[in-house]
Amino acid sequence: MKLPLAWLRDYVKCDLDAASVATRFASLGFPVEAVEQRPLLSGIVVGRLTDVSKHAAADRLQVCAVDVGTERALTIVTAAANVQAGDVVPVATIGAQLVGLRIAPRTMRGIASQGMLVSAGEIGLEPTWFEDGILQLERDLLVGTDFVAAFGLGEAVLDVEVTANRVDAMSVLGLARELAAALGTAVHEPSLAIERSVPPPTSPDCVRLESPDCKRFVAQRIDDVHVGTAPFWMRLRLALAGQRPIDSVVDVSNFVMLEGAQPLHFYDADRIAGGTLVVRDARAGERLRTIDGEERALDERFLVIADSREPQCIAGLRGAAASEVSTRTRALLIEAATFAGPRVRRMSVALGVRTEASSRHEKGLPLALSTWGAARAAHLLERGGASVHAPVAFGAETQPAEAIAFPAVRVPALLGREVSRAEAAHALQALGFGVVTVDDRIEATPPPWRGDVRIAEDVVEEIARIIGYDRIPPVLPPLFPAQVSSDAYRRERRVAHALAALGYVEAVTFALQSGAVAEGYRRTGIALPNEIVEIRNPLSDEQRYLRFSLVPGLLAHAAAYAGDDPLRTFELGHVFAGPEPAETVVVTWLAALPHSVEPAWRDDGFLMFKGESCALLRTLTGRDPEAVAGALPEGHPGKTAALLIDGTAVATVGAVDPRLLGAYEIDRRVYVGALNLADLPAYHLARYIAPSKYPAVERDLALVVAPDVSAADIEQAVRLGADGAISGVRVFDEYRGPQVAEGKKSLAVRVVLQRFDGTLTDAEADAYVGAILASLHERCGAILRE
Amino acid sequence: MLKDQLKALEQEVQAALDAATDDVALEGIRLRFLGRSGEITNVRKSIGTLAPAERPEAGKAINTAAAALEARIEAARHGLALKQLHERLAERIDVTFPALPARMGSLHPIRRALEDACGYLQRLGFAVVLGNEVETERYNFDALNIPADHPAREGLDSFYLRPGVLLRTHTSPMQVRTMEAVPPPLAVVVPGKAYRRDAIDARHSPMFHQIEGLLVAPGIHLGHLKGTLTGLLRELFGASQAVRFRPSFFPFTEPSAEVDTTCPGCGGSGCKTCGGSGWIEVGGAGMVHPDVLRNAGYDPTAVQGWAFGIGIDRIVMVRHDVDDIRVLFENDPRVLATLR
Repeated sequence: MKLPLAWLRDYVKCDLDAASVATRFASLGFPVEAVEQRPLLSGIVVGRLTDVSKHAAADRLQVCAVDVGTERALTIVTAAANVQAGDVVPVATIGAQLVGLRIAPRTMRGIASQGMLVSAGEIGLEPTWFEDGILQLERDLLVGTDFVAAFGLGEAVLDVEVTANRVDAMSVLGLARELAAALGTAVHEPSLAIERSVPPPTSPDCVRLESPDCKRFVAQRIDDVHVGTAPFWMRLRLALAGQRPIDSVVDVSNFVMLEGAQPLHFYDADRIAGGTLVVRDARAGERLRTIDGEERALDERFLVIADSREPQCIAGLRGAAASEVSTRTRALLIEAATFAGPRVRRMSVALGVRTEASSRHEKGLPLALSTWGAARAAHLLERGGASVHAPVAFGAETQPAEAIAFPAVRVPALLGREVSRAEAAHALQALGFGVVTVDDRIEATPPPWRGDVRIAEDVVEEIARIIGYDRIPPVLPPLFPAQVSSDAYRRERRVAHALAALGYVEAVTFALQSGAVAEGYRRTGIALPNEIVEIRNPLSDEQRYLRFSLVPGLLAHAAAYAGDDPLRTFELGHVFAGPEPAETVVVTWLAALPHSVEPAWRDDGFLMFKGESCALLRTLTGRDPEAVAGALPEGHPGKTAALLIDGTAVATVGAVDPRLLGAYEIDRRVYVGALNLADLPAYHLARYIAPSKYPAVERDLALVVAPDVSAADIEQAVRLGADGAISGVRVFDEYRGPQVAEGKKSLAVRVVLQRFDGTLTDAEADAYVGAILASLHERCGAILRE
Repeated sequence: MLKDQLKALEQEVQAALDAATDDVALEGIRLRFLGRSGEITNVRKSIGTLAPAERPEAGKAINTAAAALEARIEAARHGLALKQLHERLAERIDVTFPALPARMGSLHPIRRALEDACGYLQRLGFAVVLGNEVETERYNFDALNIPADHPAREGLDSFYLRPGVLLRTHTSPMQVRTMEAVPPPLAVVVPGKAYRRDAIDARHSPMFHQIEGLLVAPGIHLGHLKGTLTGLLRELFGASQAVRFRPSFFPFTEPSAEVDTTCPGCGGSGCKTCGGSGWIEVGGAGMVHPDVLRNAGYDPTAVQGWAFGIGIDRIVMVRHDVDDIRVLFENDPRVLATLR
């Protein structure tokens, strides 16, 4: 909210500059988002035009005699048309500094002008919001008064952020109370005095409440209204606060709202059909032309204030053009109402309109403010010459706030700082609380404008705000043995670190995806999880669905960052599947490598990727995985393996389906691995096995087998053939081609023979090899290659 | 006669040694002269032709000569080794020549910041728990004292999957979930993603990261919160960080505070990063509202505690001088390579 310092100082006397005031507000919980400095102005005084005559030599110029309190009147030539004798106006004397202009003596068509009459733009006000011409001041101002100082024109405007619980502080007076409390000074409360309340009191029949969403309605009739221009001090305050001045009546309602947070609505009392305003739900089909000229279609969602014919106001939001105050208005009915906040907010959303009034109503105004609002408006209108009738209140009575009682030790117990009862009481009293300390208890009664303070903790926060949060000493808390397991986090951490150690770069991609991702899968014939989870209210179609897999994000990444260098990347995150939705934590890693020319039965890139993936599982589980043929939605059907730990599939790795690579326009070999973190078995601490003390014997065997015999089959047959004497077996080469019989392939296997109980003789080694070959022949149909 | 023969051999050996340039040549020379069928052996065989009286003398002379040859060869071997060593030490390379690139993986800067934060709090005795990103209104709002008519619940600020089910808007739902699971004392930290309906721009992202801290036990107060956050922010930004609390409002804490820390960009003197204030806002915190404790089945008259929520993305941006949050989710390898 825009807070003109000039206005703030009406209620709290302090000599702090704008920056210091901003600091004070921030430490009270009202951060200042911006300090808008006013232009530098000087040399402007209040002057009275004692004579105005046409310039003899120029039709458009007028020559004014201006009394500025000095011995001799000034002669000032002006081009403005809106001046006449008797006007009191701001006068820039010789040497005065205006916006982008310094006043110097000047001769205009033969007459020396000793200054300039000032218009709004020249002192940094929005010109279209004020007189077309010279600013008109009140006649009772003392001539010669320093205009800039008297009106605080040099004072900055703060943009203050007010938290949602403090609707009372969405007002100059509310913020003044805060500052005064912090400074320990008094607040100058604005006057509610009425000189003479004219009979009869406002009619008890003028309002009828038919909805519980209007909690209270203070109505007050005002007669003898004259709609003109509001006094300059009021127009200036409104303008500095960002509110355009309208006329002397509307300005009062805006002024009271900005001053004390209570929005008001003024009805032209003579234009209320039937004389009674009914607060009720709108009926379907009803319409209302609001004062902004728009025709609004209403329905039951809207709470309206209607006369006997039609709605005259959408509660807390917008009034109707029909009962709007106009220059013909002679009598007013003031509405100072308290509406249910959520109802106003829903209407505001439905209408797509948010006003200064609705932004206050929607936060739930304290009931007491309605009484204050009507009284303050009545006071200002009476000062403007109107006659005031006593108000009448409908709906809930304002109740005195209940005292909140709590042990005084709650204050230090919550704050971690000693606070004496006197200190606590002093802080609360500064904020307008009633405070009684009985024995070791504090009884605090919030002031009527504070609807947000309900429990002891709220009161303690008030004390802390005044004492200062910066006076709470930082200390470390006592330690407790953890009651909760950190295992899930530890597992994620280990996975991420293991992949990083293997050369994979972690990515974080958006979990919200376009429907095109799933569509791309469908189009290319790739299976999807049963249901993609849709967001009901997405920001855009680009972010309509929750991701069902981390693979698309990484593929898009690989597509975006194509190049010759191998790309290794991974992501760890949540994926979602309908309808529940089921949420799973998965890690997916991807390697994109340059193409290489290979026969259809070999893929070195896969072997490298599998090696890295096995290393990952070894790190995570402490055990070496076994690979068997597997399946992954995004995997190539013939190049995908499941990695098993103790016989249970833990991860799946494979070459990416070429259809998907095509869809993502990736022209590289891409491999992807995935594991569900919940499937990851616990890490087994590896156990020490002493290596054999006896020498090993290596034998390489070249075998010829049928093409469907796998390396795993061969390795198993070798082990079974020489049980107890094998310390290593590894198929290290595969060959197909003219050197091998049609329909066969050759596999080279290295066998390492070694015993724990003695050195193998050549004869023993030969015997083992014989047994191994027999096993290979029997189990795999393998024969030694010639 | 024999003497001349041996002398000639010695000269022959020396000549061969002088010509030898490597260990192989030296070994050849040794075999040629001192080997089983080498020159010395030949000379030794000729002893038989001598008179028996001359034989001991001749044998001695041959042995002496053989030892001398051995010594010459050994000396040559040593000399050659020394020469080779000198040659190797004289090698010179251009150490500024570009290295062959190492394969280097990395953790995302967001994870690194989360781990730094969790690590500090773990050392204080906090457990790290994780939660689902899809939440119910009960845990995301109701249990946290956020009223049924709060604007966040109307679909303008939160992503809904269906009525009552949404993407969590903060990591705070885990407060009540953990409190329901275990009795006090409780100290947990929750890192994770959260979602809000903010259109993406340089400062906002509909997906972001938070870290939630919760400590509930008898006697826990705001001073402990300030101390813990001061320690945490020093862990993240360095030992000279200060922490400032400003009063604020959250439905689930009372008293509540906004948490600021010294701007690491300027050390508090004011710069572009902090908008000149010298402070950056890192999150919200406060004493857990008695209603929240009650909603979780705790007795607010027996225990009290605090909670904080810190935005990690902003911390990462400040740590690495990133001025646009989108950079964090673009995963440009060139950028990630500089941030690891």
